[in-house]
Amino acid sequence: MALKHSSAQWPWQGLLVLILLGLTIGLWIATKRVNYEWRWERIPQYFAYQEQDLQTAPFAGTVIKVNANGDTSQVTLQPQPGGQPAVITVETATLKVTDGAQVNADEEIGAQRGSWQVGPLTQGLWVTIWISFISGFFGLIIGLITGLCRISKNPALRGLSVLYIELIRGTPLLVQIFIFYFFIGTVLHLDRIVAGIGALALFVGAYTAEIIRAGIQSIPKGQSEAARSLGMSAAETMTHIVLPQAFKRVLPPLAGQFISLIKDSSLVSVIAITDLTKSGREIITSSFATFEIWFTVALLYLVVTSVLSQLLFWLERRFARSD
Amino acid sequence: MIKVNKLIKIFEGRGQIVRAVDDVSTQVAKAEVVVIIGPSGSGKSTFLRCLNGLEEFDDGQVIIDGIDIAGSKTNLNAVRREVGMVFQHFNLFPHKTVLENVTLAQRVVRKRKATEAHDKAMALLTKVGIAEKANEYPSRLSGGQQQRVAIARALAMDPKVMLFDEPTSALDPEMVGEVLDVMKQLAREGMTMAVVTHEMGFAREVAHRVLFMDAGKVLEDAPPAEFFTAPKEPRAQAFLKQVL
Repeated sequence: MALKHSSAQWPWQGLLVLILLGLTIGLWIATKRVNYEWRWERIPQYFAYQEQDLQTAPFAGTVIKVNANGDTSQVTLQPQPGGQPAVITVETATLKVTDGAQVNADEEIGAQRGSWQVGPLTQGLWVTIWISFISGFFGLIIGLITGLCRISKNPALRGLSVLYIELIRGTPLLVQIFIFYFFIGTVLHLDRIVAGIGALALFVGAYTAEIIRAGIQSIPKGQSEAARSLGMSAAETMTHIVLPQAFKRVLPPLAGQFISLIKDSSLVSVIAITDLTKSGREIITSSFATFEIWFTVALLYLVVTSVLSQLLFWLERRFARSD
Repeated sequence: MIKVNKLIKIFEGRGQIVRAVDDVSTQVAKAEVVVIIGPSGSGKSTFLRCLNGLEEFDDGQVIIDGIDIAGSKTNLNAVRREVGMVFQHFNLFPHKTVLENVTLAQRVVRKRKATEAHDKAMALLTKVGIAEKANEYPSRLSGGQQQRVAIARALAMDPKVMLFDEPTSALDPEMVGEVLDVMKQLAREGMTMAVVTHEMGFAREVAHRVLFMDAGKVLEDAPPAEFFTAPKEPRAQAFLKQVL
């Protein structure tokens, strides 16, 4: 007989489904209670919408023919004093005139479908993605340099890096963004985008520095001794031997840090950078679809962070080849 | 080839002062094999690590091939190129394949071309009998195989001296032989070697001289035949009684 603990899984899986179902029903009842009217159909237009080209009468005259042709209609207009009639094509749904109607010059006849436009949610999402990416990139560089300074033998470098890390970790990001924008931004005449990216990069850099320091220190001393015994310089040892191994080890905590960064980037909306969060707030003021927009915004953040975490997970598995 | 003059290394920590290497003077001639033995904590590994500057020392002189390694104008990295070292725990680079382990320093330090480094590496891996594992990662290799790769890695730099720091201590008993065979072959080919080991058989068979260290001092310096049959120092006599 084998000693092997096993228990049936299905009762617990059933319980999980039950709990999730209960939560969903609870949410539904809760929104029923506040008499909220869901208008999800309003949301897609904030991702992308089709412009409407208003078509107006080029001159005062009479509509002599309206030729409905499926989705579009041709309106033939006879100028009042006489002359060549004009044909105007509009969407049937937007048609404003009927046969025989009198129109003034510049009066609206209907609209044509214009080109597709990117909506504010998509724009905000894009701003969030690239702000996070750029500040993450600079944060990684700052973190790498600071992490190396942190373990340096030089007291000046070590002191500066400790000071920087403690300053950043000990103060709220929101306050840092304000200081960066209102103080440093004013002194150096920084654009708000630059200030926002700078604040985020410095913030993530401090945390990355500690992660990288821990990663470097986790590599056994024998590794650098072996490299040095082969005649490699300290810098060569770092770049060829220690950092590649350290990077592999710190990938999971780094991934967490960058996922945090994407979420923290929502704070730059306070200095009027139109990121995803600020776009959401702006849309709400015009659409009043408060619940839908915030849920959509949350979902968009979730999508971005999940894609990133999948990407880093894939990278982690690739690095695991040598294990 | 190696000349050591009044070498002193002191460890300080938690209020304790340990004279790990205490006024050691000796030399190793070209093509000579010197085996350093002694009880644990006698300072033999520390002494060996001072020879290529991995351990900073407090006083004295280490001269490798005419170059004072503590000299103010000495480029320690340049000296280390000429001094190969093999560690107790192999210290192969786990993120590189066996082949890359052997080619990396050739390319980075010796600035050899990729093909030249590759050919050299394959020749050395063949020599230590492990060429078929060239594209494996070290984690797939047994301890004995890893140690042979580590020897090939050190040899790839064409060192003038090889230092062995207890190369077989971390190995399963049945893998000790394969590593010792490689070392014996090296000795026969005329490599200058300093070996810290507990393998008395190797010392007896291969060494030209045996140094017995205790408490940071070299107590005996004699050919193996003499040392193993008639040790002069009482400490050495006691040690041999325990290990033989």
